Amino acid sequence: MPYYLKKRIIDIIISMFMIAFLAVNLFPIGWMMYCSVKENLDILIGKIPLSRAHNNIYEIFVEGDNLWAFTSDGGINKWDRKTLEEKDHTTAQTMTTHFLLDRNYIWVSSANKGLLRFEKNNLKNSKEYKLPLPDFDKAKVVGTTLVEGWGKIYFTIQYKGYEEILEFDPGSLKVARKFDLKNKLSPSQIRSLLPQGDILWVGLDKGLLKFDIKSGKVLTVYDLAKYLPIGVSRMRSVDSRIVISGNTGAFIFDPKTGSVAGTLFQGNVLGLRVFGDKVYIGTSRGFLTYDIKTGQTENYENLFRQVRADGTVIKNSEFTPAEVTAFALNQNQLYLGSSYGRVSALNLNLRRVNGTSSARMGHLVIAWINYLDMWRNVDFGLYLRNSFFICGMAMVFTMIFSTLAAYALSRFDFPGSRTFSMAILATQMVPGIMFLIPTYSNFVKITEMTSIPIKGTFYGMIFVYSVFFIPFSIWILRGFFAAIPLELEEAARIDGCSPIQVFWYVVLPLAVPGIIATGVYVFLTTWDELMFAWVLTSADTMTIPVGIRNFVGNYQNRFDLIMAAATVATVPVMILFFMLQKYIVKGLTAGAVKG
Amino acid sequence: MFKRFWRRLVKNRVAYLFILPTILGMLALHVTPIVQGIYMSFLELNQYTINQYLGAPFIGFKNYYDVLINPRSPIRLGLFEAARNTTIYTILVTFGTLFIGLIAALMVNREFRGKGLVRTLFLFPWVVPTYVTGILWGFMWQKEVGIINILLKDVFHLIPEKPFWLIGPNTLWAIIIPTVWRYWPFSMLLLLAGLQQIPEELYEAADIDGASPWRKFWMITWPLLKPVWAILILFGLIYNVYGFNIVIMMFGFGAGFPGEWGDILMTNIFRNAFMQWNFGMGAAISVLLMITMIIIVNIWFYFYRKAEEVRE
Repeated sequence: MPYYLKKRIIDIIISMFMIAFLAVNLFPIGWMMYCSVKENLDILIGKIPLSRAHNNIYEIFVEGDNLWAFTSDGGINKWDRKTLEEKDHTTAQTMTTHFLLDRNYIWVSSANKGLLRFEKNNLKNSKEYKLPLPDFDKAKVVGTTLVEGWGKIYFTIQYKGYEEILEFDPGSLKVARKFDLKNKLSPSQIRSLLPQGDILWVGLDKGLLKFDIKSGKVLTVYDLAKYLPIGVSRMRSVDSRIVISGNTGAFIFDPKTGSVAGTLFQGNVLGLRVFGDKVYIGTSRGFLTYDIKTGQTENYENLFRQVRADGTVIKNSEFTPAEVTAFALNQNQLYLGSSYGRVSALNLNLRRVNGTSSARMGHLVIAWINYLDMWRNVDFGLYLRNSFFICGMAMVFTMIFSTLAAYALSRFDFPGSRTFSMAILATQMVPGIMFLIPTYSNFVKITEMTSIPIKGTFYGMIFVYSVFFIPFSIWILRGFFAAIPLELEEAARIDGCSPIQVFWYVVLPLAVPGIIATGVYVFLTTWDELMFAWVLTSADTMTIPVGIRNFVGNYQNRFDLIMAAATVATVPVMILFFMLQKYIVKGLTAGAVKG
Repeated sequence: MFKRFWRRLVKNRVAYLFILPTILGMLALHVTPIVQGIYMSFLELNQYTINQYLGAPFIGFKNYYDVLINPRSPIRLGLFEAARNTTIYTILVTFGTLFIGLIAALMVNREFRGKGLVRTLFLFPWVVPTYVTGILWGFMWQKEVGIINILLKDVFHLIPEKPFWLIGPNTLWAIIIPTVWRYWPFSMLLLLAGLQQIPEELYEAADIDGASPWRKFWMITWPLLKPVWAILILFGLIYNVYGFNIVIMMFGFGAGFPGEWGDILMTNIFRNAFMQWNFGMGAAISVLLMITMIIIVNIWFYFYRKAEEVRE
């Protein structure tokens, strides 16, 4: 084998090994950042990939030859009604979504993106409208609600304490009016809306609210907590009456008497729709219908596959997920939407399934919300400010005094210079806690005697850090000063400069790269210091290491938040380091390699 | 005689002016605390007497007796374990970082595309703050949710059972590996700078003589890098004996006890001093540690000097 070929092969092998080594080496950092945007539940069950948004069918509509299926992750599917084949698809990538279909557009509401409009014929064409919403905790939004009535669109978010409805005008594309629904049940949460006549019915978490849309006034409030303890989550109108449903059942509400007139079903209701006289109620095991006129109930649960809680199958069927959430009717064909994006077509006369189809998988959930959540749970901004202030000031003082001392050591052979440099070296051999124990007692004692607070103050911390990093800085800076040619200074002295002038005008400008390198190194080291800060700071002056220690101690199982905090602590120093990398590397290696 | 000394003092008055602030600061926060600390190690300064400051009862060498000899003292056993762990930890971390840093430096010290990028990426772990290193690896070592056990068992099927990493003897590895990971880029940085200063002619001459790469490394590279690796060993010994952040943050995220196989001297002293307020005992252990450290550093200097003399 020729020599150069052998060399080339060895080179390639080394390069491959190097890349593998690099990957292993960077893995922990990548994992930290990755986990900071993962959902904690996924971390706790040991699932490695990001989870996807739930693609449960939210609503289905039949329109001509098209079947529209909307999923809760913001997916919009346009299918052929007969074959259930996909014609068009898009996703709004929203959370807590609600949909509305009008003649030309599809409106999508969400907590994170506001109101979106998609063109029916071309789903790629979309517009986003910001809505005037207050600053709320996006993690606690249960959902959004969107209805159409009187040519307008009504929007609200399901958020405890938010009791406003926005009226959006599709013509002018602006928010026309804003209604305040403060009532005697406040603070409450708006769960659903239903326009009927001149009245906008508002389902609350405690009852039902009758709202006059013309005058914009609350007319009456009905307390329904004994029927629906966590709220009216769905409403449909039947004749002049209303079907309401929630997690305990479906009921008929009569607006004339202002009370519940009848019970249709008891249990968790997942979907509710009215076609003609029949109310379709989706449950977790299938669905059933209720005839308003005759009062007859028809149960379709036996069509579905039934599974016991332990996972054993009681009855097999083509319908696998049986949580029916949406209905659409076309003559005899009933379309059922269920969880996990399944849509099935059912012939009501023959009680037979004609076809099934699935919506696409939900988008990957990147939980940026972890950062917001972390920021809300700890006063991270304060720690960050404290750290920047203390470390920055300590760096400035350290650099001023250590530059002076290092210059004196490298240029003057004064009595005591040997002792001084030995003392500087010796301090590096003493454990930090050896200084910390007496210093802590001293600080407490001085405060006791003079009532000047030192422990837990900024100046105390800056003083401590400055002094502790001076010896190390002197040691590094000495090498830089030694490298500056002596002739320059002698020439300046001959020209009549005083020693201080020589230092200021000749030496200092030449030493700037070294000073920057050492200063950044001191900053990074103080940023990293935990032991002194732990003992000597108080709640107001806490630096990041101490703050993070407290935080992670209190949130032991919230690994997502812990990783978010770790990322936030790492990124500033990383940016600083790689901006000044050239200086630091040069400075450190110059000092150390020369010995 | 005195006059000459005085003249030298006056002549160097600028130097004294320059070092004055440093001297004052070091008097307040270095010299005084060391003296006080040595004195405190002879006092019964615990949670009951802590308010008496330096007026606590003087008990002579009782603290040292408790720490080193007294068979009934609970601190002695903990200290013995901590000292054992610290020794293993320091030696493995120091030489581990040196070894990995050397390999990395040799790999990077070639001509290839993207050299600058690879060098920068190699430095990444060194920029991660040490307390974050502790938190991060503490999370990665978790038995059920930690990625290391998931990779070992669920992904690669290398082991049949998920072991505990943060309990029992495995703990020692759980603290050594992250520390090596955090510090080896520093070794690489210095060794690379050293490698670049070795003149190319030496290798060319060795090539002409037909030396193998292995021989070239041992006869040229390693001896010429000696100032660098010697200083790295010294730094490593000091830094790792005084290591604190990574270990304390790994167990219960700063709230837990590292266990008998994870406790090192600094965490041990810190716990004795600032969690049980046993300042006298903490000071005594610190003094012992300081003395040990000074001896070790002097041994290092002795060998270093001797080797220098041999070479000359």
